[in-house]
Amino acid sequence: MAKILHIWSLSKSFPGQVALQDATFDVEEGEVHALVGQNGSGKSTLIKVLAGFHQPDPGHNVTMGDEVFDIGDAAAAHRAGIRFVHQDLGLVEAVSAVENMALGFGYRTGFGRRINWKKETLKTKQALLDLGFDIDVRVPVAALGGAARTGVAIARALQESEQNISILVLDEPTASLPGADVDRLFNAIRRLKTRGIAVVFVSHHLEEVFEIADRVTVLRDAKVVATVEASELDMSSLIELIVGRKVTAATVDRFIDQSLEPRLRVTDLWGLGMNDVSLEVRPGEVLGVAGLTGSGRDTLIPMLSGAMERLGDVSIDGVTIRAGKPSAAIAAGLAFVPADRLRNGIISMMSVRSNTTIANVARNKTGLRLNHIKERAETRDWIARLSVVTTSSEAPISTLSGGNQQKVMMARSFRLDPKVLLLDEPTQGVDVGAKEEIHSFVDAAAASGSAVVIASTDSAELARLCDRVIVMHRGRIVDTIVRGGGSMAQSIDKVLLAGSSLASN
Amino acid sequence: MSTSESGVLATPQRSLLNRLGLDRFSALYLWGAFMIIFGLWKPDTFLSMTSAKLVLGENVSTGILALAFLVPFCAATFDLSIGAVMSMSVVTMCFLSDEKSRSFNMPVGVAAVITLVVCTLIGVISGFIVVKLKVNSFIATLGLGQVITAIVLKISFNRQITDVFSGTFEKFGRNQYFGIPVVFFYLAVAGIIIWYVLEHTPVGRFIYATGGNPEAARLAGVKTDRMVWGSLIASSFLAGVAGIVFSAKLGLFAGPQATGPNYLFPAIAAVFFGASQLKGRPNVAGTFIALYALAFGIKGLQLVVGTDSYWVNPMFQGTTLIIAVSLASQKGLAKIRKRKVQTT
Repeated sequence: MAKILHIWSLSKSFPGQVALQDATFDVEEGEVHALVGQNGSGKSTLIKVLAGFHQPDPGHNVTMGDEVFDIGDAAAAHRAGIRFVHQDLGLVEAVSAVENMALGFGYRTGFGRRINWKKETLKTKQALLDLGFDIDVRVPVAALGGAARTGVAIARALQESEQNISILVLDEPTASLPGADVDRLFNAIRRLKTRGIAVVFVSHHLEEVFEIADRVTVLRDAKVVATVEASELDMSSLIELIVGRKVTAATVDRFIDQSLEPRLRVTDLWGLGMNDVSLEVRPGEVLGVAGLTGSGRDTLIPMLSGAMERLGDVSIDGVTIRAGKPSAAIAAGLAFVPADRLRNGIISMMSVRSNTTIANVARNKTGLRLNHIKERAETRDWIARLSVVTTSSEAPISTLSGGNQQKVMMARSFRLDPKVLLLDEPTQGVDVGAKEEIHSFVDAAAASGSAVVIASTDSAELARLCDRVIVMHRGRIVDTIVRGGGSMAQSIDKVLLAGSSLASN
Repeated sequence: MSTSESGVLATPQRSLLNRLGLDRFSALYLWGAFMIIFGLWKPDTFLSMTSAKLVLGENVSTGILALAFLVPFCAATFDLSIGAVMSMSVVTMCFLSDEKSRSFNMPVGVAAVITLVVCTLIGVISGFIVVKLKVNSFIATLGLGQVITAIVLKISFNRQITDVFSGTFEKFGRNQYFGIPVVFFYLAVAGIIIWYVLEHTPVGRFIYATGGNPEAARLAGVKTDRMVWGSLIASSFLAGVAGIVFSAKLGLFAGPQATGPNYLFPAIAAVFFGASQLKGRPNVAGTFIALYALAFGIKGLQLVVGTDSYWVNPMFQGTTLIIAVSLASQKGLAKIRKRKVQTT
């Protein structure tokens, strides 16, 4: 196939940091090209330079077709037929798809500058049908599903200049989509492909790469490591390229003493999306919670940690934990990492240090006084143990990338030496290398006698970590999968699929 | 110490502007500029010890009131009732210890203790309204402030009460040590205590965490309700202290409007301006620097303008507050830009 974009030796440095070094990258006509790499590997920089958001360092050589392409210029990129859909989509949620289409383009108006709504609506409807979305284009975008919203953003990016569009760049389009929506989005991407449009997309979900991509470009430490045909790769070789070493995802065999009393005992739990759930977790045991969004999987840990209202008894080592008192729960030995990190987790104006120690500040107290030196040393220790990338323990946590913020959340919980550790989507937004580090900490917590509960949408992660997985559906536990005998991940997925077909009946 | 850890990014080179700290130390630069400008303009009057002492002493009540605003503000809670509480404090002092006209005639010390108890109770009430009734602190304390003002008017019959305190009490307000007005030391002591609590104790950390993200702080085990309630009690107590210092210094109650509310705006201005200084969050040192930078600026302008200077205060405070806070939000924007660079 013809190469439509060819980039040689593209570099971009920021003060004190090289974000992209000597990158070579090309796009062929009508291909789906995946960009993968860990957080901070240079994927976003490459895309932002292409979009003209950043200017590259001198010394590069970029051609588009036969002509020299002025990379780093937003207008030139637009003229050359390159379009971008960013992760946040840039939609106005409160207005309809039709109005979103008009943003930045304007409406074609008739007599008296009247908007021809009928025409606009038809145009939008057609554009979305072309992408495989048959939706009501007049309802506010906020009421649409995740994939349809992405569809609107794509349709908007492609409109008006259909003929000369050659490349569509999607930055982490699936980051916040549930499974079924990912399929709808991929369907749209395949339709674009048949129209001859090349799609470049960034993703952390490697299984998607194998599903949709023709070619894969891997970045690591600001350099392009390889560009390969997706068919020539398998999961472990791809991970090895991304991380730069072999990652052993061996599960740890745990011995759980069944004669011990359960550490965590939940009896008759009721609440939003929760119908009378009871469960027990013994010391050293890791319990997984699987289920679709709205099944109770997503509300169990918020309820146990005090973020959501609940009815029912929760006890740790026989001590009852009152609802709505997180401080008492923490004192009784509970620690948790929330799924909604920005809302329930980090205190963004405070430093990495303050965020790490907030759940037990008194540990570093000498008399009445807070011992800053001791506290700083403890934080540095955690930064090193979890390989948190930060300029220092004093940097505001808001300056860290999402994955590194997540590691700080982990440090906050691990340092409490909790009796019960609750993790809600513990590796969200975290790259492959860091994921394994977090997993090994979970192993360590279990080995030290903690009872661990993990809610996750990632079946492979549950299979890697858990001794027992409960599958939830409509607020009830519908199945329990115990380790041993076949692939745990497959068993989980099977029950999940059965659950969703139950729901649709 | 920042670059020694494993896996760290290189510290970006700092620009000249950054190194001079025009953003974080703007109040200090402003203060210096005022000293130079007005010093050249009115060297005899502005640069005299008398006017320096005057400025130091005159702003003590404002400074303590600023501390009162600062404490709940760190927990993202507004206390707008402090002006009225200060009024209440002054009128209670007069009411209880007046030697001529009233019936109580208590010793000043007893009157002061009762006054502080009354003011602290007001804080308990505003905390109850904010924490238990879940009324937004801005509304709750604005409303409560009006109620207190009404009580003050009722007690004082909206009249000025003069010359009511004993000589010993006035010594507490008017003496000088080492050439510095004694009241300035009160401000310094109050400032050091608040600074210590906010920066060097777990409680301070909890207050800031509550202000930063109340839900995240609560889930991390911080008793956020207690922090908000406690900070409102502390602020009413401090407003009470501001009123007592004011009484000791002036020895009169000049009517409810002229006493408390007049001091509220400069106090708030100092806290807001101060919050853009040093660490870029509400803090004691920044508040004090901002307070005196503004105070010296006002004094200079008053001397320049002369007898018609009654309008100088609000004009100056209003404009500097707006300019200072707009500078701070520029800084916020710059921070976001920097973050974008770091995460790419």
